[in-house]
Amino acid sequence: MKVSSFKWLFGRNSEFWPTNMRTGMWAWVGHRLTGILLVVYVFLHLSFLTQASLSHEEFDSLMEVMAQPQFVFLDFLLVCAVIYHGMNGLRVVLFDLGIGIRKQKLVFWVMMVIAAVLVVVGFWALLEIIFPGSG
Amino acid sequence: MAEVRKIATSKVAGTWAWFFQRLSAVLLIVLLGVHIYVDHFWHVGEELTVSNINERLKEALYIAIDYSLLGVVLFHGLNGARTILFDFDMFARRQRMVDWALWILGIATLIWGIVILWPFIKG
Repeated sequence: MKVSSFKWLFGRNSEFWPTNMRTGMWAWVGHRLTGILLVVYVFLHLSFLTQASLSHEEFDSLMEVMAQPQFVFLDFLLVCAVIYHGMNGLRVVLFDLGIGIRKQKLVFWVMMVIAAVLVVVGFWALLEIIFPGSG
Repeated sequence: MAEVRKIATSKVAGTWAWFFQRLSAVLLIVLLGVHIYVDHFWHVGEELTVSNINERLKEALYIAIDYSLLGVVLFHGLNGARTILFDFDMFARRQRMVDWALWILGIATLIWGIVILWPFIKG
């Protein structure tokens, strides 16, 4: 498939071309989706820890399963969601304080660049576990 | 400024909910930063077992951070869920009922969280 087939999605006149993109709207959509996901995660986290008060052996073997690459990859997705939600949240806080509203698109992209750097740091920390033998 | 405030505050959700959401957000960035650093950079690659976690939780500071993180997370998460509900006009006319339900859920979950960390602390 030719790259130009995706012009409608990523081309100069598309929604996702950086200068066209309604960044605030998409940031808001992403913030809510990751927000709901993270609330669900907190309850999941607590129910896993509950296992420890029921049986130490079963908790230890559960954690052994969770240390397998495919589950650590899910941890990486969690890291991505947290970092996006955090950096976008910081952007919201700045705007609420009246900082940067006139440069709102620039602030969005700066936050996303910082988020991308943090995601790379997170991936680097998990690399050895997700792809054993790569470090 | 007045215009900014109008955009930022949902009439139904309320100003205090908005204010504490921002306050807890900033707190979370700090607390979560410490939590991630301690659990995933200091102890990276370490097996997660009851006795290992018990070793970490001997420090009163860790316990304090974990418990306050839980409290702030629950407030932020449930208050966020409340904002989403009201934004989609769900239960907006039952605001008091929603508030009570979420406070009860939050406090019950906080107690649940405090109780389940107990075996790690006692060992």
